[in-house]
Amino acid sequence: MSKVSTQPVTTNLSVPKTTKKSYLNKIGFGFLYLILGAFAIIQIYPLVWLVFFSLKTNQEVFGMSPFSLPQDPNWENYTRAWTSGNIGLYFFNSVWITVLSVVLTTILASLVTFAVTRMHWKLSGLVLGLFLVAYMIPLHSTIIPLFNMYNNVNLIDNPVSIVLSYTTFNLPLTIMILLGFYKTFPREIEEAAVMDGCSVHRIFFQITLPMTVPVLSTTAIINMIYNWNEFVFVNTFISSDKWKTLTVGINNFVGQYLTDWGAIGATLVISIIPILLTFLFLSNKIVEGMAAGSVKG
Amino acid sequence: MKNVMSNKFVITLYTLPALLLILVLIYIPITLSGYYGLMDWDGIGEMKFIGLENYVTLVQDKVFWTSTWHSFQLAIFSAASLLLYLGISLVLASKIKGSDLLRKIYLIPMLLSSVAIAQLWMKIFDPNNGMANRLLEILGVENTPLWLADPEIALYSIFIPVIWQYAGFYILIYYAALKNVPDEVIEAAKIDGANALQIAFRIKLPLISGIFKVTIMLAVVGSLKYFDLIYVMTGGGPNGASEVIASYMYKEAFKLNNFGYGSALGFGLLVICLVMTWLTSKLTKSNDDVQF
Amino acid sequence: MKHIQGGFRMLKKKAFSTIMSLTLIGGLVLGGCSSSSTSEDSGKSNGDKTVVKMMHLWPEGSAKAQYTIVDDIIKTYEKEHPDIDIQTEILANEQYKEKIKVLSASNELPDIGITWAAGYMKPFVEGNMFAPLDDIVQEDKFVAGTLDAFSVDQKPYAIPLELNIAPVYYNKEIFKKYNLEVPKTYDEFLKVVKTLADKGVTPITVGNKDRWTGSMWYMYLADRIGGPETLNNAINRTGSFEDPALVKAAEEITKLVDMNAFVKGFNGLSNDEAKGYFMNEQAAMYIMGTWELPNYTTSPDVDQKFKDKVGYFKFPAYEGGKGNIDSFVGGPGVALFASEQSKVKDEAKQFISYLVEEWGKRSVVEAGVIPATTVDTSGSDLAQMYIDILKDLENATNITLYADVQMSAGVADVHLNQIQALFGGQSTPKEFTKAQEEALASEK
Repeated sequence: MSKVSTQPVTTNLSVPKTTKKSYLNKIGFGFLYLILGAFAIIQIYPLVWLVFFSLKTNQEVFGMSPFSLPQDPNWENYTRAWTSGNIGLYFFNSVWITVLSVVLTTILASLVTFAVTRMHWKLSGLVLGLFLVAYMIPLHSTIIPLFNMYNNVNLIDNPVSIVLSYTTFNLPLTIMILLGFYKTFPREIEEAAVMDGCSVHRIFFQITLPMTVPVLSTTAIINMIYNWNEFVFVNTFISSDKWKTLTVGINNFVGQYLTDWGAIGATLVISIIPILLTFLFLSNKIVEGMAAGSVKG
Repeated sequence: MKNVMSNKFVITLYTLPALLLILVLIYIPITLSGYYGLMDWDGIGEMKFIGLENYVTLVQDKVFWTSTWHSFQLAIFSAASLLLYLGISLVLASKIKGSDLLRKIYLIPMLLSSVAIAQLWMKIFDPNNGMANRLLEILGVENTPLWLADPEIALYSIFIPVIWQYAGFYILIYYAALKNVPDEVIEAAKIDGANALQIAFRIKLPLISGIFKVTIMLAVVGSLKYFDLIYVMTGGGPNGASEVIASYMYKEAFKLNNFGYGSALGFGLLVICLVMTWLTSKLTKSNDDVQF
Repeated sequence: MKHIQGGFRMLKKKAFSTIMSLTLIGGLVLGGCSSSSTSEDSGKSNGDKTVVKMMHLWPEGSAKAQYTIVDDIIKTYEKEHPDIDIQTEILANEQYKEKIKVLSASNELPDIGITWAAGYMKPFVEGNMFAPLDDIVQEDKFVAGTLDAFSVDQKPYAIPLELNIAPVYYNKEIFKKYNLEVPKTYDEFLKVVKTLADKGVTPITVGNKDRWTGSMWYMYLADRIGGPETLNNAINRTGSFEDPALVKAAEEITKLVDMNAFVKGFNGLSNDEAKGYFMNEQAAMYIMGTWELPNYTTSPDVDQKFKDKVGYFKFPAYEGGKGNIDSFVGGPGVALFASEQSKVKDEAKQFISYLVEEWGKRSVVEAGVIPATTVDTSGSDLAQMYIDILKDLENATNITLYADVQMSAGVADVHLNQIQALFGGQSTPKEFTKAQEEALASEK
């Protein structure tokens, strides 16, 4: 009896509460989406701008508002970029050098991080410290000594120098990021595997490594972007046209007194496409890896 | 078990390749660079040994300290911006609609090379035709700023593209870290009655604190040695108003034929990074990183 | 558990095979490359040929005309000398400078390369990196003064390929619109500036982020007020930078800035950006070197309607000043050097000699570049502006080499920074001259 009488009361009281709450929720969400949307526009605008930029003539590039659309899409910029710039060759070089370096960095960094976080040895802190300090070294300090060193072993004008440099210079950053992630993975699984009699190699390759696919995809993206857009090393260590990469190729359009901005824009757009596609592919891997159920099982 | 996990051979096998690479390709060059710092050398002719003279000059060099202060300010702004990126990542990582697409869009500027970014922002900052001033004019501002041409605000103007450039980088890392938090923990919290904010602050953030600390260090060191956009967009000007350590070092070594001094500057930069890293780690010290 | 383990295995297999195949590809490519990169050292015979390595800064993409000329000359030379193989490495301007720095630090300069004059070149000569070229140069073929910029102790160490002067380009249509005549005196010039500024038109565009652009304005004033020797003497230390004429020149710059003569935000605009204002008719006047001439005459990328509107005039004379209107700011551009350390020095020098001569015959007509050798333009089909410029060049009383080229790198940096400070109002004219005097005086 009392229950029947209380029900209408509670219902009456709760109705205004939920509508008020959901109303606030909706405003809150709306506001949130507004901010997120605005930020999205800020982030995607450069890409849109770049495409417009690549279709303008040299004269339109300057003086006009960056909002303006090209008067006549100047597709010749693209043909010019592709033909007079040797872009196809540079493209190929960029691809294999980037991929090879990223693969090497990923493997080596994983091995090191695994050893430092999972294995027991006294010098692990020191070794980690060495990688940490290596991150702090400014690039331009190393250019001339590196050039000298490569020159002495005849590696100048040889892409091996580039691959080695990229692999090495990306190690500290990759290891640091991996480190942060490795620390969040519990050790129980590995310890269980050791009990089961697994060798270290099996533990690393079959258990730890697959668990880290999401973070490996993350560092792969970061390394890939760095290598793909890198310029200083290629410019310094490579002389022959046949080994040049896209970033250096862009400078074919920067003249002594005159710069062909349209062709530069076109080259930039061409160079961003593969990296955009790879990025989209890899970034899905970050989510997929989680879905595969990292820890449990 | 101790034996398996302390196998010296395996440890060496796993760490030696990477270690060798950085010792040969990073440590040897920086040592050489420190050695060049002991020389009076224009990078072309003969070297002359002058001991620590360059380093003494460095300590007394006003431009060096101003540049350091500029780099330092960049580090502070970068570290502060991390909070913004963390917030964005928290939102993205929660299962709101469209987070997948938004995430991909947010990362796009990361793909652009510095060349493209520099061109874009120089156009935006153009005092006459640029987007920034056009917008301000629409809002009724009369004396639109000169941005990169104004010594007072050039430094802060250029911080904007520099920090913006790395938005994608940090959002990517935080997102991966947040997604790494197992669903079960979150579900359990929800069942216990926690709302979104509580979950964010009490559960997610502590679980990614290790990674957050790493990013603070990355932001600080990265800012201290930052070079690209500043050199291209202002060249350190007007008259040194936006000079940072890396651009000053580059100019001295490569443009002004002061290679010995430039090398000393590079070494000085390394020391500063070491000090700042030590400071930062002291400031963000906590107990064990949380495991689940 | 098994299902997930199976998934791991799949992932591992897939990753493993991807890595293996990539490494294989990489290995093949590297293997392929190591065999082809052995014979690239100059001096060593590539078959029967002597290899001469040359670096220049005219990429096909952006300097097609110059690139073609050099390429043709190389091909012709190789045909006439079948035992010589000339290999080129081509970089853009800034990247070229950077790379040369690295190469010189490691004593790895190419056999033939590009250099700039005076202050830039001096360390290379002092470091014994450039070979003296007095045995191949024919002095009378060069415009007076151009070789001097590349000589140390009367010996030339590089041979110039370009000569540029900097007139004041102006938009004839804008002038006509406001009933303005080409100014012959500085007072007339100030009136022109005032009229334009009052009407809301940007009188002058200058990209002073690059600093040397503003320096040209200063140099003209220094020349017109103090005569051609004052600035040079200050730099070569037979005079002082605090000479009243030089201070006055700085004061005139400040006056111009206060009149709003220059485009807004000039200290943040690069030369390219500033040029855009002129090309888009948002500014009336622009001082720049004659390398810009193609944009106003032959370039297919520029609207003909705009080209017809562009004219030039000589920087006006200053009432009571010691300079005259036929004195120009300018000088030789780039030059070729032969590396002292080269193993094929003689072959390199021979080719340089040949290149300079052939270049002189073709550069004006084909690339719009004025060479440093005297040019005979009779009978060639040149745009009117070129003919006029060449005539003015012939009648020039003096060409003052750019200050920042005359000075050593360190002093040039002080000068350029001070230019920015002067224009931007951070340095007064007295401070401007004082800072440079101090820098010049403290040079060892």
